[in-house]
Order: sequence, then structure tokens, then C-alpha cells
Amino acid sequence: MPNPGHSPDTPSPQPDAERRRRALARKWTYLLSGVVVVPLTAEELDRELGEQLDAVCDGIGAGQYDPKVLERVGDRLCALGYIGEPGLRCTLEVLGKGLLALPEFQPVESTAERIVLGLGALAVGFLASNQRAVIEQQESMQLSLFKAVRDAKSNLRESEARFDEVATSSSSGIMIISLDGQLVRANAAIGDILGYLPAELTGTTLFDLVHPDSADVLRDAMRQLLDGTETRIRQSQRLLRKNGETARISLTTSLLRGTDDEPSHLVIVVEDGTELMLLQGELKRQVLHDVLTGLPNRQYFGSNLEAALRRADPEHGVTLLHLDLDAFGMVCNSLGRQAGDRLLVHVAQCLKVVLSREKAMIARFDGDEFGVLLENSATTPDVATIVADINAELAEPTFVDGHGLAVSVSVGVVHRPSPDLDPTELLRAADLALRRAKTRRGQWELYHPDQDAHDREAQALAVSMPGAWEQGEVVAVYRPVARLADGATAGVEALLRWDHPDLGPLDHDRCAALAEQTGLILPLGEWLLRVSSGQAVWWKNVPLIVGLTAHQAADADLTNRVVRVLKETGLRPGQLTIGMSVQALRVPEAAENFGVLADMGVATMLDGFGGGAADLVLLDELPVRSVRLAPSPFATELAAMVHGSGATILVSGVDTEEQAASWHSAGADLASGDLFGTARLPGDLSF
Amino acid sequence: MAQQRDWVPQDVDISVPSMARTYDYILGGGHNFAVDRAVGVQIEQIMPGLRQAARVNRAFLGRAVRFMADQGIRQFLDIGSGIPTVSNVHEVAQSRDPECRIVYVDRDPIAVAHSELMLAGNDRAAIVHADMRDPESILASPEARRLLDFDEPVGLLMLLMLHWVDDESDLPGLLARYGDALAPGSHLAVTHASGDHQGREVTDATEVIRRSRSQDQMNLRTHAEIGALLKGFDLVEPGLVGCGEWRPEGPADISDSPDMNMLVYAAVGVKS
Ligand SMILES: C[S@@+](CC[C@H](N)C(=O)[O-])C[C@H]1O[C@@H](n2cnc3c(N)ncnc32)[C@H](O)[C@@H]1O
Repeated sequence: MPNPGHSPDTPSPQPDAERRRRALARKWTYLLSGVVVVPLTAEELDRELGEQLDAVCDGIGAGQYDPKVLERVGDRLCALGYIGEPGLRCTLEVLGKGLLALPEFQPVESTAERIVLGLGALAVGFLASNQRAVIEQQESMQLSLFKAVRDAKSNLRESEARFDEVATSSSSGIMIISLDGQLVRANAAIGDILGYLPAELTGTTLFDLVHPDSADVLRDAMRQLLDGTETRIRQSQRLLRKNGETARISLTTSLLRGTDDEPSHLVIVVEDGTELMLLQGELKRQVLHDVLTGLPNRQYFGSNLEAALRRADPEHGVTLLHLDLDAFGMVCNSLGRQAGDRLLVHVAQCLKVVLSREKAMIARFDGDEFGVLLENSATTPDVATIVADINAELAEPTFVDGHGLAVSVSVGVVHRPSPDLDPTELLRAADLALRRAKTRRGQWELYHPDQDAHDREAQALAVSMPGAWEQGEVVAVYRPVARLADGATAGVEALLRWDHPDLGPLDHDRCAALAEQTGLILPLGEWLLRVSSGQAVWWKNVPLIVGLTAHQAADADLTNRVVRVLKETGLRPGQLTIGMSVQALRVPEAAENFGVLADMGVATMLDGFGGGAADLVLLDELPVRSVRLAPSPFATELAAMVHGSGATILVSGVDTEEQAASWHSAGADLASGDLFGTARLPGDLSF
Repeated sequence: MAQQRDWVPQDVDISVPSMARTYDYILGGGHNFAVDRAVGVQIEQIMPGLRQAARVNRAFLGRAVRFMADQGIRQFLDIGSGIPTVSNVHEVAQSRDPECRIVYVDRDPIAVAHSELMLAGNDRAAIVHADMRDPESILASPEARRLLDFDEPVGLLMLLMLHWVDDESDLPGLLARYGDALAPGSHLAVTHASGDHQGREVTDATEVIRRSRSQDQMNLRTHAEIGALLKGFDLVEPGLVGCGEWRPEGPADISDSPDMNMLVYAAVGVKS
């Protein structure tokens, strides 16, 4: 590397001095290479630093101190690669000591000042250059970001352009063809018209499908489109069906352009005139149906859910199943996408077979997910039997590309939801149950933790809850939480209470369990959070505690709900404590929500802490602000264990002074219970 | 529809960190955004020597490419190439022989855009925007077809890459498909993070990444598990070892801290 600071007319140092310089350069190389990242081999770096050391020595050499030379060395050093602060520190340490010891700079009294100034100049040069480099790197990242966004948009535009073409001009089959005639995409209708499976069309060219006598006319048309003389050409063509028959078909061909406005593909819309009516029906079906399996799609399913819920026999209700194929990704990865597609078709068939005797709507959701809505009757088997039948059917291997595949599904189940439940909440509930089931393959999970699922009374109660809530029978009540040290009120816990006209008041735990069964807990829980947050603000920001059920805790929408409520009510996140039980937190989604809430500044509480190993892990791994202890004979030990973690300790059910005193000495900080006041309506409390 | 991509391209979302940019930050570069630096800082707090480990990995990249070049390899496929930083594969390889051809692959759209900008004008190197889990779209990409000759040995690099692929994706099957596509004499170089030596710290760092909601998520594997992934290749001496222990040539190749030499395992294998 030529170095402008190293002028050829500088007198060479004496042999000994030369040797000492080389030794210093080697040391510099050795130490520097351990802290920086440079694209040079050890020898290259050694050579480079040798030259730089010469420049340094010349720059501070007797009588000719030149800061510019040293600054250039700093600049050069920076340009070697990722040097940064560690590299500069190492350089200054090595040269600081090393230069002072070089024979050419003896006696030190006469050179020390120039060495100090020189290293300062080197650092200045490095700093300036490093700053420039960082700015350049940052700018190059901005540029890359813009480019990435633009590229992503243009891909999107391209596919949207294709899609528009499909949507506007289609009443039947569609093919997308590359400019050299290769078939890129074809929809199912093409296959139907020509008698192929969509997969069989992969890799064919347009001209494989066209009757030889028609090929020339078609080629001409393509040329005209490419020349730009025509934008859309409609011809009657003869195509070849798989069985060798000729089909007289009208083809509309048009050109697709990419973002660069260059022609990128051809779109061919195929109409089988003889079957036009049929095809129009088909198109309508396609909008609401999944092309691959022919099943209704999610939109169709969603929009029919509401009607089905209303129509359902009130005695037996409906059951919603959300199914997900296990290991579908593995099938696609190892056998390819098309094998995956065939498998999906097979699964759709199996579902139809198993459910053929039931009144069921089967839909394909996205990817490998299916939905089933069963309208139950007296003869409908129970959920366990249905899931077992489905899995038994799927366990029969099906042959895809010569591989016998047997698969299983995981299923989320919502059994007999309340007919008033909003369909989107219902789908979400099924999805939540599915996520839980997914943790163990081939399993199903009822959105319904209660064991006495068949307890009609409980069912009836659960089902009547939404109406009761609407009637104002379900209310928010508040239980004071006191500081054990002095008995002062430290906040309130918001709870549900159902003032049932026949059964009397049902407490929070009962309400939550009932609402949990039917999915009502998601809207009801958000409501409790909202009114209590508003109330807490009204009470001049009294700290508020709200406990969540397992399904609320794992709800993918939880953080949005909390953000929304905080925004609407103006409650500061730090004033809100959200509790999740240790059981609920074993579900990864819940733990994730917990972390996000903590990041948002919400005070997070580990509820029902029992001191088991798993509980301790949670305490250790999650950002826990407070812990509510489960009743336990080892209270003192538990409190001590938690105390070390820095979390505030809450206890409940404290009814007497003695209990309060014993908890206090055990290390608990806050308590609720009869001693400090029962849960009541907001009007009966003041702050 | 007849043909579809098997994978969903990552979003351009700079509200979450990308591991390509975070890695650049840890190496000491400026090709990153505030979110990336924030996780970088958190991970460095958990593992103060992390910069060492990154440097040691990057140094291994240089040794592996030079080793392959010395074995006669002139074409390279670098999957999970990240943000071009210092000592990129094409620079190392082309400094040995300017005829070397390199195809980079990454799924991170910003890393890809950056690479495209940097490689503009280099007709012997190109980048493909694709996911490692979709070998066909990589092997059949126009760039690979233009620059690589699969009848000749290829140097395949997957450095700090495989631990972003989860077990659901059938990694052994994927590696087998790459192996099948390569001519005998092709080389594979791999580095892979592990919790074998710094279990606690590595788990914590993994957790930081998980919470950051990055689109890259860590899958830690043990020495035995990584070894099993490479069974289709004959590993050259010294086998699968701590990155700093793979044929170090000088202080640039190792760290003072044994833990940082062992944080990622490294190996080079040959397809027979
Ligand atoms: C830490 S960087 C490694 C850079 C370089 N290989 C090195 O070792 O110095 C890891 C890169 O792998 C990419 N990556 C992760 N998973 C990938 C996948 N499935 N397919 C392609 N690239 C992936 C990330 O985007 C990131 O750029």
C-alpha cells in the first residue's frame, strides 16, 4: 500500500532500530488482530501495520513532527475493517508504550511530547474517519431499506396486477404463461375443462395444450401483444383435452407488465362456451370456496357461522372444530408442495366421509387448517368419538407420489357455545383451544376446562350468561387490597359478580369459569378491564388489580385489548396489575403476553404461586412484579423464597388480625380478605 | 394453482431486529438500526465476550473459504450470508483467484437489498432472495444457473445459519437435498451456535431474541445433534470443534476466552 506519509527520502533507521520497529509492528499486529475484524491475512496485516508504523515514526521523527501524517495513519487504520473502539484502544496502548521504548526515540525527554501529540493526532484522524464510515454505513442501510421496501412493493404490485387480471376478465379458467410459452400458473377450472389435475399441468407449455392446427394463429397473437399492436386478443381456439378430444374454446390473451413496464407474462382466460353457464356458477363457487379442495373457504364459513348458530337446535347446540394437520410442513418440505396439496385434498375427503351422517359444514381455512361446524342432534357422537374417528380415518395411509402418508390432526373444540357469541370471538376461541392442543400432536382440546361438560345445569347457566350480562345482572365489584405493614389501602382488585335472580350472587371464580366455557370471557373480560380501569382513574389513580383466566391469558389479542383500554381510560400502565395464574402461564402464548405486558410497563402478577419447581422457573424467567401466593401450609417458606426475587407478595383470604400479623411476619406485603373489606360495588367505596 | 413458493418472504419490518444486522453490530459495524443495537446490547450484557465469538466465526469463514480454494474449489454458495460486512466470501475467494464465482443467499429482504447494491457491477457474484428451506428455488435460481456449474465441486457455506432453522423443518432432509445436488468433492462449511458450554447465558440470550420478536429465532443444538446433521459429509480434521479450535493460524482466529471459542461449533466436510 503506498503511504503518502512515508516519503522515500526519509533516511532509513539504523539496523537495530529497524529490528525494533519490526518487533513493535509484529506486536501491534498480534494484539490488534485479536480484537478487530479485517479482511486481511496475518501476513497482510503485518505488512500493512509495518508500513503504518514507519509512517508514525517518520511523522514524529526528530525535527519534523507533522500531525497530518499521523492523522492519515488513523484514517488508514479505520479503513482496514471493523476496528472500532477496541482497535483504537489496543493501538494506543501498544504504540504508547512501544514508541517510548524504541531506540530511535531516545532520550525520551526530547521525544515524549511529540509521541504524545502524535498519538493524539492519530486518534483524531481515526475518529474523523470512523465517524464518516459509520455515517456511510448508516446511509447505505437507509438505501437498502428503501430498496427492500420498494422491491417488496413491486412484487406485490406484480402479483396484484396478475390478480386483477384474474378478477376482472374471468368467468372460467385462467393460465399465466411466461413469455416463452411455459405454463406458470393455472387454476383448477383449466384442469376441469381439459381434464387434468392442476398438478399435471405443471411444466407443460401452452403449445402442449393447443391443437397443432391452432398453434400458428396463437403464436401470431402472442407476437402482436408483445409488439404492442394489440393489448388483448380474443380467439376461438382448439385445445386438446387429456383424453385426446379437441375442445373448441374461446381464449382471451393479454399481456402483463412488471413494475419496470416490461412485458413479463401472458394471461390467458379460457371459456368453454358449451359450459358457460356451469362455469359462471363455478366462478361464484371459487370466490367462496377453496380451489384446491372444493370446500368452502374461511370467508364463507365465517359468514355462515352466525346463521348456523342462530338456527341451531337449542337443546343440542353446535360444536365448532378447528383442525390443523400435524407435520404438514414436513410433508411439503420433504415431498414438495404438490404432494402437500394432494394430502390436503385427501384430508378434505376424509372429513367428508367421517362427517357424512352429520349436519356439518366443513371448510378449508388457510394452509393446513380446516374448520368444521357441527349442528348437533340427539344422535351426534361426542367430541372425543368424532376426533378419534377423524384420526382413525387419517391414519389409513394414502399414497402420494408413491409415499404412503398417514397423518394426524390436532383439534381445538368449542362445544355448545352461547348462541349470542360473536362469530369472530367464537373462531378465536376455537383457535386458542387449537393452539393448546397443538402442543401435543393428534390431540384435541375443549374450549372448556370444566370437567362436568355434560352437566346440563351448568351448561344452561353458561349459555344464559351473555343475556344476563346484557341485562346488567353481571357487574364489576371491587375488593380492597391493604398494606400489611400499616393496614392502609394499597389498591383494589376488580372482580365479576353475577346477581342471579334465582341463585343469588355468583362470585368471581364461578363467573369466570362459566364465561370461560363458552368463550364469553374474551369480551366480558375486556369489559371488566375497561370499566375497572375507568373507575380506578376516577378514584384518582388508585392501583388496580385484574386477574385473567387461562384463555384470556393466552389470547393473541390480549395486548391489543390492554393497550386499547389504557388509551381509552387514561389509566397509566404502572397503575394496572394484570395477574395470570401459574397454570395459564405454562402455555407459551400466555408467557409471551406476560412479557409484552411487562415491557409495556404494566405491573405483572404471578397468581396462585405454589412454590413448585415449575412455578420457580416462571418466577425466574418472567418479568414478575408481584406474586400472589396460593394457600399453603408452607406459607413462610414460600414468602421467603419469593422475597429474594424482589417481587411484591400478595395474599388473599385474610380475615382476622392474627392472620394478618402472621403473614406480615412471614414477609407478605399486601393482603385482601374480610379483614380489609369484602368485594363491593364502586359506590360503596371511596378513595 | 400450479406453482407456488414454499415459503413466505419475510416482511420488511424494522420495528423488530434482524439477526443479520444485530450480528453486524456485534462485529462492530454500523449496518444496523436502533432495534438491532438494542438486542445486541442486551445479549452482550449476558455474554460480555460475544464480540469475540462473532469475530472468531468471521475468521473461520476466511479460513474455510481459503481451505476450499486450496482444494481447488472455484465456486461458492453461501446460504445465510447476511449483511455484507468485512471479509465477505467473494472478497476472500476472489483474492485467491479472481475467477471464483459466488452466489449468496439470504431471506432477509434488507440484507438482500444491501447485497444487491454492493454486488452491482460484480459479474461473478450475485445474491438470491430465498429461504434455505426451499433448496429447489435456490438451486434452480437464475443466479445459481448462471454462476454455478453443479457438475463441478461447489463450496457450500452455512455459517451461523442452521440454528435459525427449527426441527419442524426437517433439517437433515434439507441438507440431504443440498448434498444430492452437489458434485462429489464439494465441500460444506458449517458453524452453529450451541448451549453446550454456556448453557445458562445462551438460553438467556435466546430468550432475549424470542422476546424481541425477531423473524429469526434460535434453535440450540448439542455437539451430537450438529454432528448428526453433517453425517452426509466426511468431516476433515479436526472434525466438529469449537470455532476457534478449527485449524487456527493466529490470534485473529481465536479468543482469549475458551467459552467464546466454543460458543459456536465449526466443521468442514467433503461430499464423497
Ligand atoms: C448471523 S448471519 C450470518 C452471516 C454470515 N454467514 C457469517 O457467518 O458471518 C445469519 C443470516 O442467516 C439468515 N437466515 C436465517 N434463516 C435463514 C433461512 N431459513 N434461509 C436463508 N437465510 C436465513 C439471516 O437472515 C441472517 O442474515
